[in-house]
Amino acid sequence: MTFNRLILVLAVVMCHQLWAQQDTIVPLKEVIISDTQLRDFSNTQQVLVLNDSVIGINQASLTSFLNYNTTIYFKENGLGMVSSPSFRGTTAQQTAVIWNGININSQLNGQTDFNVINTRDFNAIDVRAGGGSVIYGSSAIGGSIHLNNELEYKEKFTNELRANYGSFNTLGLHYAGTMATDKFSASLSFTRNSSDNDYDYVGKDGHNLNGQYYNNSASATVGYKINQKNVLTYYSYLFEGERHFSLIFPSETRTKYDNFDTRNMLQWTGYYGRFTSKLKAAYLSEKYKYFDNIYAEDYSYGKSESVIGKYDLLFQINSKMKLNSVLNFTQTKGYGSSLEGAERHIGSASVLFSHSVTDKLMYEAGIRKEATNNYESPFLYSAGAKYRFSDFYLLRVNGSKNFRIPTFQDLYWQGSGNTDLKPESSIQGEIGNEFTIKNASLSVTGYYIKLKDMLRWLPTGSVWRPQNTDRVKTYGIETVFKYNREFNAHKLGLTVVYGYTRSENEDTGYQLVYVPYHKASGALSYGYKRLTAYYQFLYTGEVFTRSDNNSRYNLDAYTTGNIGAEYTFGKTTIYKLGAQVLNVWNADYVSVDSRQMPGRNFNFYFTLKL
Amino acid sequence: MKFKNSLFALLAGSLFFVSCSSDDDNGSGSGAYGNGTFVLNEGNSNPSSSSVSFIGSDGTVEQDIFKTVNPDAPAMGSYLQSMFFSNDYAFIISGLANKVTVVNRYTFEFVASIDTDFSNPRYGAVINGKAYITNSAAYADPDDFLTVIDLASFTTSTVELNDYAERVLTENGKLYIANGYYGSGSSVTVFNPANNTVEAVVELGYSPNSFDEQDGALYVMGGTEISRINLANNTISGTIELTDEMAGAKNLTISDNSIYYTVGTSVYTLPLNSTTVPTEALITYNSDSQWGAMYGFSAYNGKVYIADGGDFISNSDIYIYGTNGTLINTLKVGVGPNSFYFNN
Repeated sequence: MTFNRLILVLAVVMCHQLWAQQDTIVPLKEVIISDTQLRDFSNTQQVLVLNDSVIGINQASLTSFLNYNTTIYFKENGLGMVSSPSFRGTTAQQTAVIWNGININSQLNGQTDFNVINTRDFNAIDVRAGGGSVIYGSSAIGGSIHLNNELEYKEKFTNELRANYGSFNTLGLHYAGTMATDKFSASLSFTRNSSDNDYDYVGKDGHNLNGQYYNNSASATVGYKINQKNVLTYYSYLFEGERHFSLIFPSETRTKYDNFDTRNMLQWTGYYGRFTSKLKAAYLSEKYKYFDNIYAEDYSYGKSESVIGKYDLLFQINSKMKLNSVLNFTQTKGYGSSLEGAERHIGSASVLFSHSVTDKLMYEAGIRKEATNNYESPFLYSAGAKYRFSDFYLLRVNGSKNFRIPTFQDLYWQGSGNTDLKPESSIQGEIGNEFTIKNASLSVTGYYIKLKDMLRWLPTGSVWRPQNTDRVKTYGIETVFKYNREFNAHKLGLTVVYGYTRSENEDTGYQLVYVPYHKASGALSYGYKRLTAYYQFLYTGEVFTRSDNNSRYNLDAYTTGNIGAEYTFGKTTIYKLGAQVLNVWNADYVSVDSRQMPGRNFNFYFTLKL
Repeated sequence: MKFKNSLFALLAGSLFFVSCSSDDDNGSGSGAYGNGTFVLNEGNSNPSSSSVSFIGSDGTVEQDIFKTVNPDAPAMGSYLQSMFFSNDYAFIISGLANKVTVVNRYTFEFVASIDTDFSNPRYGAVINGKAYITNSAAYADPDDFLTVIDLASFTTSTVELNDYAERVLTENGKLYIANGYYGSGSSVTVFNPANNTVEAVVELGYSPNSFDEQDGALYVMGGTEISRINLANNTISGTIELTDEMAGAKNLTISDNSIYYTVGTSVYTLPLNSTTVPTEALITYNSDSQWGAMYGFSAYNGKVYIADGGDFISNSDIYIYGTNGTLINTLKVGVGPNSFYFNN
């Protein structure tokens, strides 16, 4: 079995540790992230890095943040409601959300609701397009979203307070504090968001009913250098929220949804010469309660608890070659009012290799095999190369096999679950071109994904059951254009992303529903001394809502824009005041049929940095 | 199972024929839709996916007639559950929107939208100027109730049933309610609308999934047997056992003195006076998606109508057969067609 072979390879690599320790000590980098594969083994794919200054000017929900900054398309059931992505034309379960290196997609339904993650709790959010299952496991088909908390080991004591208030009684509060020395570093953050969310519909009577929500989240990252070789790090993220689900018809039964998610991880990093060893133990839990009538006490619930053990060993073979083996064991228990209590054990082993052949040429490759008693897991692989022809032009190629495993709901839903399911699997490839001139860069990536055994829930009278049915062919182009220029006290920045996406059911030849052919977004910013002004725009092309592509029922294309400005006061203590007009053109639009989005609205924010 | 109201005795009066899925009350007037068949397309969670298709007497289909006739009227809602008629009115029930849309049954012009006192409405019938609509409330609980609509004012009130309540038909001044919801509930309630009380509860011993009435008898389908209830005394006067292969039978309907029912993708028929079931299916049709098979069914006036649910996200097909089992027509209708209603 391949799995056994991988363990053998890993064991051999681990033995090397014994003689490798005498090598010179690699000095610690100052900024530490847990997800080192994002830095070390993601060089032949496009990784869009969105740092905290980008996070700062965007809205707090991950949906809005990614909608305006990437080509990912979102289906949002009204502002703040359930939101699911389509990354490169794939389904919501084919985008992985990675928190500090750990896949946190729901074990119950296989996806992440992008409105139950607060962006402000993270230092950086990176978007890695394309296949990543070899590193990140299930769901990294369209791509993966990386939520990272960074730690810095240098004398530091900072406090930041942010408050925003806007239309529909929308309130946001955020505190972030950092305390660090050269041996110890701790960051804490708390976020609160709430809104009546009762916006008037644009161009018709009525307003959003039963859409109110609140959420609280807390994040802690603590690192301690025991000595030069050993570092302990603890990561934690808690999220608790309640959303009422908004209505289309005032007479609908009012519902609400509570969720409470915890993510905790302890990591022991050892720097032993050319080896970096990371032992991680993580505990993740998710729990939701759905009240199908807010006036009744009954609710249905779902819950999962995962314990993850991970051993990650990086071997710097020489200055040009890196070998990384990762062993992972996950045990998940799922419960729920409609779930037959079940437990799942998954073991996986992966090996990654990266080689910078010359200054111009590098390549990387990886393999992974999972073993579980629930289903047969495919052998996964990836390989890519990058060649810099000149300062002006760089070429990337990458190919991989990826998968999405059946979820607890797919397997164990009472009366419907299907334990004979296979994982969805994809073979995919991409070619990226990057052009760089003095102040500008352009990246153009073409990709192709062939997916089989797509899991779909199909009705059987009153009962819906999951099946491995469709084959889907997806291809398209992603482009990212960036322009930055500074002259005297002026700063000009422009970012435009555009995606063209074909995602076809191979049996019918029709485009999948809710996948627009065209999506573009961008931001133009201008800074002069302490003043910054910006304009963000989003264009979403029309989408099919019918599987037979009956265009009569298409959702119209829409363009929205936000305009904002902020001014910074103070020298050591920094104050920032900002104002935004969201949906400045008062566009009448929906991203899900009949789920009206708000018209023009306002937001004001204040940031204090000590 | 508790039946609080089973104390009530019942005396039934004289009886006359009414079919539950055809034109219960003949109205008057004419219009573009006065002679043909409505197909209710329940749609999915998106309200624009629900619709009513109309099949004219010449076999042509007109799609989405409600929006065509009433572009500015309030949307009907989605998960359209069922439809019923009274005089000039057609009533369309939306489960998602908890509302009933009233239209003129001949012109399909919007009349009223009623959205009070509903909680997961299911089926309805009209008697003495009032419409009675069953509501599932919490699906899993026997907390179902009736919404009563006064058709003079379109105002509503409710009557608790404390049971499961699904299909309903009227006969001789009474409402007959099938107390079955996917395996829960196991009786038929006889309800007197004159005083809003339950007069009798006929215990079946199984969960009814469909029923129809003729000649003073109610024929109730339970998946493994058909019971004949004598409405003169509300007792079971006969049972037709189905074969083991017919487990899960549903969609019982009576047309031209024959009982029709379905098993999977097959249709069976037997004469009303028969005591045994046929061994051969009258019709077996092919469904591309076995999961949406036989989503709607009816037999009326020498024809058998089958709706295939399709994928519930695109327009789907219906099939019209002769009662001899030959296919007459295949027509494209809307999303998730679930029932047929005959207007003339």
